[in-house]
Amino acid sequence: MRKALIFVEAKGEEPRKASLEVLSEGRKLSEAGQFYVEAVALGSVAEGVKRRTLAYVDRFVGITDEMLNVYSPQGFARALAAYAQKENASVIVGGATEMARDFFPRLAVRLGAGIASDVTWVGWDDDPITCIRPVFGGKALAKQTIIASPALLTIRPNTFPIAPPPERAGVYEERHAGLAPDQIQTRVLKVEEQPKGKVELMEADVVVAGGRGLKAAENFGPLEELARVLGGAVAASRSVVDAKWRDQDDQVGKSGKTVSPRLYIAAGISGAIHHVMGMDTSGVILAVNNDPNAVIFNYANYGIVGDALEIIPAMTEEFRKRAGK
Amino acid sequence: MRIAVLVKQVPDPEAAIEVEAGGKGLMIEQKYSTNLFDEFAIEEALRMKEKLGAKVKVITLGSPKATEVLRKAIAMGADEVLFLEDGAFQAGDGYATALALSRAIAHEMPDLILCGRQGIDEDRSEVGPMVAEFLDLPHVGNATKIEVGDAKAVVERTMEGAHETVEVALPAVITAQKGLNEPRIPPVVGVMRAMRATISRMTPAELGLEPSQTGAAGSKLKTDGYTAKKKRPTVRFIKGEPKEQAAEAVRILAEVERAI
Repeated sequence: MRKALIFVEAKGEEPRKASLEVLSEGRKLSEAGQFYVEAVALGSVAEGVKRRTLAYVDRFVGITDEMLNVYSPQGFARALAAYAQKENASVIVGGATEMARDFFPRLAVRLGAGIASDVTWVGWDDDPITCIRPVFGGKALAKQTIIASPALLTIRPNTFPIAPPPERAGVYEERHAGLAPDQIQTRVLKVEEQPKGKVELMEADVVVAGGRGLKAAENFGPLEELARVLGGAVAASRSVVDAKWRDQDDQVGKSGKTVSPRLYIAAGISGAIHHVMGMDTSGVILAVNNDPNAVIFNYANYGIVGDALEIIPAMTEEFRKRAGK
Repeated sequence: MRIAVLVKQVPDPEAAIEVEAGGKGLMIEQKYSTNLFDEFAIEEALRMKEKLGAKVKVITLGSPKATEVLRKAIAMGADEVLFLEDGAFQAGDGYATALALSRAIAHEMPDLILCGRQGIDEDRSEVGPMVAEFLDLPHVGNATKIEVGDAKAVVERTMEGAHETVEVALPAVITAQKGLNEPRIPPVVGVMRAMRATISRMTPAELGLEPSQTGAAGSKLKTDGYTAKKKRPTVRFIKGEPKEQAAEAVRILAEVERAI
């Protein structure tokens, strides 16, 4: 049976949501007898990460080394490549997070592997593996075959649903990477993490995005509020970021992030193609704009012609009523 | 100090892109530009040149039309350009492209290699880190600030939910993120210079590459075809007074779409 390694990335004491999605898909593959699936993490592994991950796999391997406790693309690529070679893995898969997209390409070169980045569908039954990737900002979908082995894939967040943790008790094992200091030529001097509890934009199930139509930076307040009650994240269009109303980290679009949430609410966003390229694969799109001819309505499932500053707070209130909060 | 900048010509973001009948290829409106993220890389190299006296070489791999991005780079202020134009280089995946580029870079090893964080056509975001691995160099991705010092650089970069400051030994590959700088408009004298500039080229053989290592033949990811993106049904407008619209929207999202 072909062996698949799932790269598990942690966020504090938990695996990242993008990793849980891939682990859920991995469990299906292993139950269907398609792959022998194993989870792998790099650096020291928190207890919470162990517990959550072991619910999905029979074996979870922590590749430890003092030099893996801080992320470096060279260290991570080298350690995972060595392990994959030893285990003769035919597939290595991870969520398409900034980290995986940063070191998987190096991993591909080390292994002489084929890589498909940010995929939204995988043909696991196919040998060699096939996949679908949005290209040109989602204007078309490319069907591709990874003809070299192993096959490396990063999966766009929100592609696979998270299965409830099954009753499964896998085993956790450790391997030592044995890296040498001169193999890592970067040193992290400082890390500024975003405030705890803030939902990350690329992983969010619900995104509430605002544009120039909101007229002022402080008018993002009601969007923050709606995002909070829905457990989502706030995003912004380019013009809003360029006007310094919002941080670059919040920008969705061609020169910002690509998101694919279950629900995307666009408030006061005109629908320039630059923006659409970053959100077109979202599940349901609701657009609120006071211009009935705004282009954004061409990309939305539902439209409200009206003032976002009236509609958004009213939606928050309505949702609170419904949820009894 | 010598800096190499990797750039790519891509369809303009506004260009219409449609899937050909039969799905074998794409019909791309003939509007092209320099990849946005690569322009940040060119600009950063030029600022280093102005501050530290660096020599800037811009390299691209592409079809004959891609001379345009090289001429634009010269117009902005680049000193030299190199074009990997040979037909054998074309239609490669990230791996084959990065291999060819890394050989072209190694031909005259620079102190720093800059490129955009991703091409906005294939959206792979693979070539920068791959070039670094092929050359056995470190890399730092998504840079929003770069300070070059003695045999090292200090780079600020964005990661998921975090901003990091990373020190990297040179030579290194650094990929540019939006926020790094504002690319300049080429001055008229630059445009004149660009028109007269000679464009050097290298062949696969000159880079020591076999035909089986380049372009589609050297690729490990093969494109079988394309499909159009899923069409959304026509928008359904929710009518009424603002409060009614909001209530109906929440009802639909919760009960019909089960999205919240």
